[in-house]
Amino acid sequence: MNDLLAKIGYPIAVLVAILAVWQWGADKSLFPSYILPAPSVVALRTSATLSVMFDHAVVTTMEILLGFGLAVVLGVFLAWMIAFVRVFEQAFYPWLVFIQVLPKVALGPLLVVWIGVGFLPKILISFLLAFFPIMIDTLVGLKSVPRDYIFLLRSMGAGPLKRFWRFQLPYALPHIFASLKVGITLAAVGAIVGEFIGADKGLGYVLIVATGTMDTTLLFVALVWISLLSLLLFAMVGLFERIFVSWHAVARHAELRDTV
Amino acid sequence: MSLTAVMQIPSRHIGLTGIAKSYGAIPAIESITLDIARGEFLSILGPSGCGKSTLLMIMAGLVQPSSGTIEVEKRRVTKPLTDIGIAFQQDLLFDWRTVLGNVMIQADMRGLDRNVARHKAERLLERVGLKGFENRRPWELSGGERQRVALCRALLHGASILLMDEPFGALDALTREHMNMHLQNLWIAERPTAVMVTHSISEAVFLSDRVIVLSPRPSRSVFELEIALPRPRTLTMRDSSEFVRFQHRLREAIDARQAVGTVLP
Repeated sequence: MNDLLAKIGYPIAVLVAILAVWQWGADKSLFPSYILPAPSVVALRTSATLSVMFDHAVVTTMEILLGFGLAVVLGVFLAWMIAFVRVFEQAFYPWLVFIQVLPKVALGPLLVVWIGVGFLPKILISFLLAFFPIMIDTLVGLKSVPRDYIFLLRSMGAGPLKRFWRFQLPYALPHIFASLKVGITLAAVGAIVGEFIGADKGLGYVLIVATGTMDTTLLFVALVWISLLSLLLFAMVGLFERIFVSWHAVARHAELRDTV
Repeated sequence: MSLTAVMQIPSRHIGLTGIAKSYGAIPAIESITLDIARGEFLSILGPSGCGKSTLLMIMAGLVQPSSGTIEVEKRRVTKPLTDIGIAFQQDLLFDWRTVLGNVMIQADMRGLDRNVARHKAERLLERVGLKGFENRRPWELSGGERQRVALCRALLHGASILLMDEPFGALDALTREHMNMHLQNLWIAERPTAVMVTHSISEAVFLSDRVIVLSPRPSRSVFELEIALPRPRTLTMRDSSEFVRFQHRLREAIDARQAVGTVLP
């Protein structure tokens, strides 16, 4: 009971306190509403714009999920190629490290020039941001397999594909999921930045419109949506992690328990 | 089943001829020539870093020797052998599989009939006292239990060769003695040709038909001893004067080599 209070009660108390002070300040006109609208105003506007904002959120969600999905598939595949095909590692790895340090969002305007302001450039920026951490972490996971495991599997006569699916991939899954959590938040950043550059729908587009018209309340409404969306996507990755690598969490927990 | 020492006509199963291995300019194994009979239990004793493990991996075809040849069933080994089971010092269990699932990896990787394999897996687990543990996860087991699972996995497919690289090196002394009993039982039941690398003299005497002693690096085979003790061997036999005499001779052989090695370069 005390645990529950501490885990959920305290953080909620902090939130309520901040909102209360904020609301009180707005009521007393301590700050102008075009700088910081009252929480109650934001809440009312949020409920009034629910269906319109939902449509924008769907667009952004699709961009994030497609960009992220592409990053996962290509990231894991390329990591596998680099981990097991030596020529690939020699040819591509230095470039991947080099590209890794570039600010990928800087490519946004170029993508708009090439493929216009439609759906695709947002997906690509989202993909670009999420791809590298996923690829690099997956590679680290695949390469951290101890040599004896490989010896064991080779003595079983397992071919490279079987070794990958039955062993290397599950072995690297904890690493991969750690990277997916980073990747999903970066994919969200990518989609929204992509919408900044040029779009006619999406939550990033709403942010730009709201800024242009000095509609701070709408800005806050969009921020609420973006926060909730990011949280939801992150939680989804967490849920998949729990389903697919439950053994890892429990194993780690058991180890910790033994050492304490 | 014969319970006395190996009495079958010795036919060569594994043959090493002039095996040498160096890493760059550093020689690890100088020259080892060795015949291992079918169904024999051979232990390789030697100081740390003398290339024992490398020698085992060479036998498995997993490491290429710098020179020399390995023959198994009179056929030269050029790529990883698959008619073998291997156990390492680390148990190398897969955390995402159950105990039974870990033994069954062998069947899954080889594409064996799952029903037949499961039956065999259950029998092996029962033999090492892990009946009822089939659905446990590796992290729920003790170190000794985990290593027993690894041994069952190595034996699931009825391979004719069992290679073990210090399989009990990470276990405490008491657990180790128990593991020796389990391993002996498994070996008598399955009768593979077994080659074990170990640091432990008493373990080598307890389990082996023959023990070879390697010199410090670059290693050569410097001493060989037949362990003519009846089987199955029991833990109390360890205190018998015969057993102690075998241990003593091996101890002398190891110490002699190390003293000579340090005095004469």
